[in-house]
Amino acid sequence: MNKEDSNEQVQMDRRTLIKAGGAAGLAALLGTQVPSWGASETPVKIGLIDPITSTFAALGQSEIKGAKFAEAEINKAGGVMGRPLQIFVEDSAGNPGTAVDKASRLLSQNKVDFLMGTVNSAASLAVSQFANRHDKLFVCTGGHVDSLTGKECKTTTFRTCSTTWMLTAGDFETLYKKFGKKWYFLTTDYAFGQSEQADYTTQLKKAGGSVVGGALVPVGATDFSSYLIDVKAKSPDVLCLLLAGNDQVNCMKQIAQFGINKDIAVGGALFELEQAQALPEAARYGWWTMEWYWNQPNTPHVADFVKRYAAANKGEYPTARAWFGFATTHAIRLAVEKAKSLETAKVVKAMEGLVLPPEIALQPGNVFYRPQDHQLMLGMFPGHVIQTGKYPNLFDVSGIVPGEKIALPPSETGCVLPRA
Amino acid sequence: MNLVLIFNTFNGLITGAFYALLALGLALILGLNNTINFAQGAFMALAAYFAYTLEPSLGFWGALAVAPLLAGVLGLVVEVFLIRRLYKRDPLYSLLLTFGLALIMQDVIRTVWGANGVPLSIPESLGHPLSQTYFFLTGYRLFVVAVALVGTAVLFAVLRYTRLGIRIRAGNADLETVSALGVNIYLLRTANFVIGIVFAGVAGILAAGQLGLEPTMGDGLLMPAFVAIVVGGVGSLLGSLLGGLLIGVASGITTAYFPAASEAVIYLIMGLMLVVRPRGLMGQEGLFE
Repeated sequence: MNKEDSNEQVQMDRRTLIKAGGAAGLAALLGTQVPSWGASETPVKIGLIDPITSTFAALGQSEIKGAKFAEAEINKAGGVMGRPLQIFVEDSAGNPGTAVDKASRLLSQNKVDFLMGTVNSAASLAVSQFANRHDKLFVCTGGHVDSLTGKECKTTTFRTCSTTWMLTAGDFETLYKKFGKKWYFLTTDYAFGQSEQADYTTQLKKAGGSVVGGALVPVGATDFSSYLIDVKAKSPDVLCLLLAGNDQVNCMKQIAQFGINKDIAVGGALFELEQAQALPEAARYGWWTMEWYWNQPNTPHVADFVKRYAAANKGEYPTARAWFGFATTHAIRLAVEKAKSLETAKVVKAMEGLVLPPEIALQPGNVFYRPQDHQLMLGMFPGHVIQTGKYPNLFDVSGIVPGEKIALPPSETGCVLPRA
Repeated sequence: MNLVLIFNTFNGLITGAFYALLALGLALILGLNNTINFAQGAFMALAAYFAYTLEPSLGFWGALAVAPLLAGVLGLVVEVFLIRRLYKRDPLYSLLLTFGLALIMQDVIRTVWGANGVPLSIPESLGHPLSQTYFFLTGYRLFVVAVALVGTAVLFAVLRYTRLGIRIRAGNADLETVSALGVNIYLLRTANFVIGIVFAGVAGILAAGQLGLEPTMGDGLLMPAFVAIVVGGVGSLLGSLLGGLLIGVASGITTAYFPAASEAVIYLIMGLMLVVRPRGLMGQEGLFE
């Protein structure tokens, strides 16, 4: 190789290298979040990992809105221990691997003090393990799988949303007593769905009912006609739909078009206001459990919260997911202020048994993080979808069941936490 | 069990016709534009969202008529400014372009209409089963089958009997000669692309009526379309129809016995087809062999 050639080559490469470096730098700048507070106070940083894209996007974005709303109010009221609160949001895309990558980035690049978030159970378990390995507090906002505060519980992991057991126990009695003993399960084949089905089956068998059929549907299935043919053939009393977000909406549409809900009662566990919004009027039916609902005429503070949230979010009403983000952010603040420190071990101790005050809990009853498994004892809101309802009046809550009453006793969850 | 099998086969044909409809536009674009249009699903979703926005003022039928044309306009812009530049290159480039385009369009939809699903209502008259036993036969699904059959027939007729169609087919065979004979191949390819996108638009709106309307809906629609084309044979419209029917029936029957594999079975069939008869059921010989 000639010396001139190699020089020229190096020059060309250097120019391209500089261009590439400049582009990369610009990209990195756009990628990270620019803090908006003055540099005088080191902020308290929370890393929020939630799906902004993917099929869980609607739920993740609601959680993020709730958390951001809390962040704004906390900062307006003086911050956490007098320091500004900063929430860094990263997209998990509903994928456990991506969620852990983003968690890693939040820890190393943004140097967050705490982690929160995740919607789907697989991502929750993954981030929980990751946070534990790095000794960082992780409060799961939206993944329901029992094992997160059960067999896979960790000292550094807390959960705001309910366990799968609580969800199913919330409306099992209603469905069983009202509609019948022969159940058919249509379940999405992923951690959460299987967990729901297992829990319902346990309760059903204990009550003397029977499972006349079931099918595991792959995630993202769009056409349920073949499954519904099998449902009709087995003629159950109750068709229990345990499908993932958008799949549930699809299925409910098709059930309505086929007229199946006319002779078979349709119900299930988790139902979200975001799903109700996506249903055309013909497909608004069913008995479900919500984990929080905005329409609580008898609970103080709720109407005010709904008004403030709607004002900050262009008239959008808060959903259960928004409340998860909101309550979790405040819970972390309360724990930090109680511990007067950002050290994980101290904040964990402060969070064990932490009772959410009424203006955060926004529901009746004793809402606290149980020390034995770090699970929030939130209430369940079983009810049914209002057929002719107009947003936001899409769900009729039949009663609020206190979480403490229906959660599995700590000894039965399989969680063994080292007690200090 | 036998009754369930019959029902599932019948139902599978209906689903299959729907897959064939999804495949039509894609097959057209694959032919003349030599583009593996990964954004086809995104165009379907976008047209469905246009329909959702237009429905309050135009009703379902008005939206069904207008929204695909709007999608076609967007397709026109995309073809003229983006895809046209890549004709001379390896098809891989246009594949990457359309893939990126799909992601961008999905995010635009999410930003404009929100990440939440929105309800597209279908006309009351079509939303009921036509019989008690064959409850899965709703007026709407029959309408979808009709559109698929009519769509294939119309496309077939256009390709065989109109000047535009003959030129498209000639272009498929030998584009250079067609150009040398004085035909404006730029206009030809643009027209072909737009027709393909309009078909995608119709398919997307019909899909949204019975499935869900949310930003990621295009992903679930694109894959069966691809498989239908590969199974039926690249380059044959009738093949795409047959391919769609085949995978629809296969998927339906598998759901009855082994639901976990209901999605995988269509890819299994595609894999088998590529091994045993790469040209597909009715494809042109030599394309993949």
